[in-house]
Formats: sequence, structure tokens, C-alpha cells
Amino acid sequence: MATLTQQQFDPASAWARYEPDARRPWNLALAGHLYRRAAFGASWGQLQRALRDGPQRTVDALLRPVGDVAAFNRQYDELETPANDENSSNDLRAWWLQRMIRTPHPLQETMTLFWHGHFGVNAAKVNSARAVQQHLQLLRRHALGSFREMLAGVVKDAAVFLTLDAKASRKAFPDEHLARWFLEAFTVGPGRFSDRDVREVARAFSGCFVLQNQLRFIERERDAGTKRILGQEGIFTGEDVARILAEQPATAQTIVRKVYRWLISETAEPDERLLSPLVESFAKNHDVLQLAETMLRSNLFFSAAAYLQRMKSPVEFALGIVKGLEETVSTPPLAEALVRLGQNLLHPPTAKGWLGGQNWINHATLAGRHNLAAALLKSDGAFGGKLNPAAVASKHGTDARLFLDLFLQGDAEPSGDSGTDARRAAYAAITMPEFQLA
Amino acid sequence: MNTLIQTRRSFIKTTLKAGAFVSFAANAPVSLLRAATTAPQRIGDTVLVVLQLSGGNDGLNTVIPYADDAYHRGRPTLRQMARGAHKLDSHLAFHPRMEGFYRLYRDGLLTIVQGVGYPDADRNHPGGMHNWHTAAPRAPKTQTGWLGRAADRLWKPAEANVPAMFVGAIPQPFAANAEQVIVPSVRSPRELLSQSFSPVPAEPGVSWLNSLRRATAVVQANNRRIESVMAASSSADYPKFQLAEELRAIAQLIRADLGVRIFFTELGGGNIGGFDNHAGQLGNHCSLVHQLSESVAAFIRDLQRDKLHERVLLMTYSEFGRTVRENGRRGTDHGAAQPVFLAGGRLKGGLCGAHPSLTDVDKDGLKFHTDFRRVYATALDRWLGLDSRSVLSASFEPLDVLKA
Repeated sequence: MATLTQQQFDPASAWARYEPDARRPWNLALAGHLYRRAAFGASWGQLQRALRDGPQRTVDALLRPVGDVAAFNRQYDELETPANDENSSNDLRAWWLQRMIRTPHPLQETMTLFWHGHFGVNAAKVNSARAVQQHLQLLRRHALGSFREMLAGVVKDAAVFLTLDAKASRKAFPDEHLARWFLEAFTVGPGRFSDRDVREVARAFSGCFVLQNQLRFIERERDAGTKRILGQEGIFTGEDVARILAEQPATAQTIVRKVYRWLISETAEPDERLLSPLVESFAKNHDVLQLAETMLRSNLFFSAAAYLQRMKSPVEFALGIVKGLEETVSTPPLAEALVRLGQNLLHPPTAKGWLGGQNWINHATLAGRHNLAAALLKSDGAFGGKLNPAAVASKHGTDARLFLDLFLQGDAEPSGDSGTDARRAAYAAITMPEFQLA
Repeated sequence: MNTLIQTRRSFIKTTLKAGAFVSFAANAPVSLLRAATTAPQRIGDTVLVVLQLSGGNDGLNTVIPYADDAYHRGRPTLRQMARGAHKLDSHLAFHPRMEGFYRLYRDGLLTIVQGVGYPDADRNHPGGMHNWHTAAPRAPKTQTGWLGRAADRLWKPAEANVPAMFVGAIPQPFAANAEQVIVPSVRSPRELLSQSFSPVPAEPGVSWLNSLRRATAVVQANNRRIESVMAASSSADYPKFQLAEELRAIAQLIRADLGVRIFFTELGGGNIGGFDNHAGQLGNHCSLVHQLSESVAAFIRDLQRDKLHERVLLMTYSEFGRTVRENGRRGTDHGAAQPVFLAGGRLKGGLCGAHPSLTDVDKDGLKFHTDFRRVYATALDRWLGLDSRSVLSASFEPLDVLKA
């Protein structure tokens, strides 16, 4: 196996645009790779089109799709709006999955999922479907926008405060738990701040109260004194905290490193030198779209250092099947099925989100993935029997062998044993160990 | 890049040509089990079974201080008389409907840890339960449970053996909340079966793909083990209670030797559970302690048949005990200290610690003398072989309840 790892790239060539040549040709495998990372998977038609368009034009379309994304999102925002505040967030999970399947801008949804994991909001703690919806909308609005603006929204977001048990930040009892979480998990990262910074950030958040599921500012509970946070001094509030933390170079490192795990590789930690050009830009412009764009267009992305170097999350596993088979499925039971695989959307285990990687796979969740694959392919049952491998194969003028190319982009040759039953062949492909990797 | 893809391509061809497809029929498991490879046996690993009693168990009507006048004074309608109760000594007796526990106790297979609690115990259901779940009463914002943290310590991601499992119908209690490990919830071992294809042997070297291939082989080996255990042990004698069914499932999963070190189950129905009897306690509590006693006894007796009980330690807990005096509605209110029951084949048996006084009380709740985290530390250090400080964030002295 080729062992073209990140160490063999100097930063300049790693992040240079990938231009196919005889040694590194553009092919079905790389098209599948791009769609797995940027779009939850692809249909056969999308893969064929990508082959014709070449890598850079395909990336163009994934970054800046031609469809009316705003209109689509408005429609779904309306559809998913809970009838009342007390409604369970379970409906939101199902609507989000449906949105992921149908969106003209899947990269926006994968990055929204990324940010959901980053801020780790838990609907069970928020206990208001509307507050959870507003949080998700905040993430989606900035998913490929400015991290600085996103953080400015997060410090006013009731769902984040409720998830961190920070209902009332009183002057007399500044919430150090909340402060520590902002510093350690959301921005600069462990070891890059002092206990004093924690206390000062907590003071800056004083006066923040969650009342009726909205974040309110109670002036009399505000600590109006001077605070000193990461070397800066002023009469800071939560908004200042967002600005100061977003501007820290350490925050750029945290975010770039985490997006690297999301888009490029979970199997190896990148060294600082490799990331430094991206960190430098991100520290200046906080631009997530530009960061994602650099990564998705790069030589490194289209190399063995990235290829199959991530574990699919349960969402990616299930949607890869659904997108490949060109249909949608009933998403309320899908959201429930994902709980059993360890990914209860809107309910991450802690505010650190899902740690992912090999943690996704234990013998129970792997058996669960096989059983979900079988249930999705069944001609009846909870998912409505909507996925029809035989119809997909015949639509593309081929037979059961299609599924090895579609799901694994393997170049399998005709074989007496491969069988002609489309469901069986599709099931075989999606229960392969390879299909668990992204 | 080309070589990398070449490898994948040839692998798929091999798989297809080997005729590795197994029937896609809905009830395929049995046939595919025969094709599965054998994984090495994990003999000798200890197993912890944790049983939550939801609602706040009335310890005083479970282990009854029948010789104590204060008990009879405080409980004019709820008291159990000495006659009919199962006497442990001249002071204490098990509730009359707890014959199973009594026999386990007599055989040295059950230990009663008395007076378990913690300082300033929370007497509200969610708060009290949360403290037992996090094992961190002073840090209520703790985001993981003690069993979840133990599971994270036991977890070896490349090996894919799930270290902990919840068996029951209620949503997984917070104690199992882990940062890393995905702790499955099942009601029957059958839910762990899957239809899958003959495993592709792992190639030399460490890679996620190799781990996945090994995990696929483990899934298939587990299929075979679960099927054979389910066929063999269905004859074991369990009473017809839901808890008994759950413990039967746990016994089957232990026999199947899947590498699970922690099982977690529940009696009382979760939330504010069935043990919360503020009124008309007598019949309801009697039924619950009967289910507890007979189900656990059946479980230990089942395991005893092939000496598996020596690998198993079961422990119970509830969010709090109850008040000494009944409340005028033939019920009891939220109290404090409680007895914790330990069952298994390597216990010293008997009583651990004195029965708390019924007259020197705190707001009518019993005073604790044994911090509950000492029980947890016993399970973690002495039974699972973990460093309990890494789970409890502090050092607690384990109890001397296990045979050497």
C-alpha cells in the first residue's frame, strides 16, 4: 500500500491545488472520497459528473452550489419550527436528517454537524425545542462563514449556557465552569490559559441569565470592574470575551486542527508546521469557507494521507447509503436508529461532542450498523422500503456489480459469485469494513 | 494512490470469488454462525453487575431491625414482625418475602454494607440520583457517570470489545454516560446478532481497516457464541419478573464471554421509580423487594452451576434511604443512609459495618458511616482492577468485603 503520509509533504505542496497527472490521476475513488467528506456521499450520477468535471470544478460546485440554498433553508426552517416551546427536540433531529439528505448545499450541513459537535449542545439540558432550533440556525448561518461571528452568537445563545448548567451567572458567584469550557473546549484549548483567565472570563460573563429560554443580561448582577483576559485589560462583557477568544492565535490552532480531523484525517495528528499556513490565515480572517476550500482543493486531501483516514460517524454511514440509492427515507426512525449506533443527534454525550474515530466502532455498534443497513434495504418496514437497489442499477444500465463501484468505488470485475440480487450485492458492499471508513 | 486503490480492488475481487456471500434471508444468523471464526476466550475477567433501585429504597423494611423498639414505634402500620422474617442475627432480619436473599446470605454469597451515604445527602430524586450517578456530589456539573468513566478506562478502541452494557427497557441512566465508549442498551442478547458476511482476514500491520476487519470477525464470533448460549441456558430457573429476565440476559451475555466487564440494570422503572412509596407502601414495597431478592438469587444460582458466580460481583444502590418514621399515610418519606447489597461468589459474606442508629438521626433519615464511593472504590480497585482515583477523582478506601 502506498504510504504517502503527511510527513512527506512540505506545507506549500500539501496545500497547493491538486492537479491530476499521470502519476495521480483523477478517478472514481477520489471522486467518492471528495463526496464522502464534503457531502455525506454521492449518487452514481454525481460521481460520473465529477469524473467529467475534474476535481477543481467539482469542489467549486460543493463550495458554492448553483441552487437557491437560501430558499431551501427557509423552507426547512419553517417546516421544522416546533409548534410550541415544550415540543420534544426529536422532531428537529428528523428534520435535520431530512435536510442533510435533500439540501442543495451538503457541505453546509456537514459543517453544521461539525459545529454541533464542537459546541456540544444537548437538547435534554436545554429542554426547549425552539432554543435548540435557534442554536442550530446559528451554527448553520456561520457554518461556512466567520468563526468570530459565530462565537459572538454563541455567547448570547441560551442553548449553550443551558447545556453548561449556566442558568445564572451572578456577580457574587462567577461561573468558572462556564468560563473554563469556553477557554478549553471552544477556543484556545487546554494548557493555553491560566486559572486567573478562567476567573476573569467568569467575571466577564456575570449578569448573563437564561430566562424563558432566552439569554438576558441583568445589569445589577454585572461585575463592572476591570478584567484581565489573556493579556488584555478592560471592563469586559461576554461579547468582549467572544472577540478576545476568537482573535487568539491558539484558537486558530484549535479550530484548524479540528477541521483537519473532520475533513482530512483522524488517524494521524498533523504537525504544527504542516498546519501553520492555514492557522496564519485563519487567525487573520476567521474564514471557515476559505479554510475548508484550501483543504478540499489540496494535494494532501487527494492523497493517501487522507484517503479512508476517517471513521464514518453513524450519520455519515446511514446517509452514504441513502444518497447512493438516490432516495430519501423516513427520518424519525432513522434518528432513533442512530441513537443505538451512538449518535443521538442534538444529544451528544458531553459538551465535548462525539469524540469519534475508533470510538464509533465496538462489536455492538458494528453489528448495529449491519442491522441498520439491512433495515434500510428492506422492501418494507420502518424506513418505508423506499431504497430500491435494483431500480438504481437498472436506471444506470447496469446490474448488481454497480454497488461495489457506487459504495466502494472498487473496480470489481465480473464474477460468477457476485450474485445478481441487487439488495444482496448492495448489502455486501455497505457491510464491508471499507464502507465504515470515510 | 494507485497502489492503495489497487489493494482495495483486489480485496473485493477475492471476496467475491470466494463466494463469501451468506444468504440475505431475514433469519440467516444460525447458518452464518458456523462459518464464523473462533475468537480467543477471555477467561478469568471479572464482571461487575450494577443494579439501580429507582425511587429510594426503604432499607429499614428490607433489612429489618426487628429487635429495635424505635423501629416498631416509628412504624405502627408498616413494621414487619420478627415472626415470618428471615433472621440474620438477634437484631436483624430480611423482609419475609426475601427468602432468596436470605439463602444467599446464609451461603456466604451476599454481603450487606450498612449505613451507606455521603455528607449533606440530596433528598430530591433527580439530585440524589445524579449524585450516585456522577459519584461527585460536590461537582453537580460533572458531565459523565462513574460507570461511563470506568468504561472509558477499560476501553481499547482498536479491539472493539464493548466494556459496558445497559440491559433494560428504560433510557440509559446517567451513570453509564461516557466520553468515549458507546455503551449499548439491550433487552436481549439477540439484539446483538447481525447478518454479516464471512470476515476478511486482517492483514499484518496496524491500521483502522485492520481493526475493522478484526471487529467484523468478532461480531461473527459473537453471533455464534450468543446463539449457542441462548440455546443452552434457556432451561435455567428464573421467576417471571422483568428484572429476572434482564438478569437472565446478563447471565447469557456473561456466558457468551463477549468481553463486557460492566453490566448495568435497573428495578423500579426509572425516573421517580417504584421504590418511592409516600403512601400505601406496604404491598408495593413488599412486591419490589421480593422481585429483587428472587431475581438476584436466581441469577447467582444460575451462574453457580458452572462456577461463573466467582467471576461476578453484583451491587445495588438507590438514590437515598427513607425516613425512620412512617408519615401518617402508610408511607415513608425521603431519607438518607441505606444498605447496599453485594452478591457474588468471592465475597466474605455477612454484614459490613454496624446498623445505623434509629434514634440518633438526621431529619429522621439514618446517618451514614460508609461513604458510597468506598463501595464504588471496592468495585473499581478490588474487583475490576482499575485505579479508582482515575474514576472518582479522589482516593476512597475500599471495603474489606472480598475474599483474597
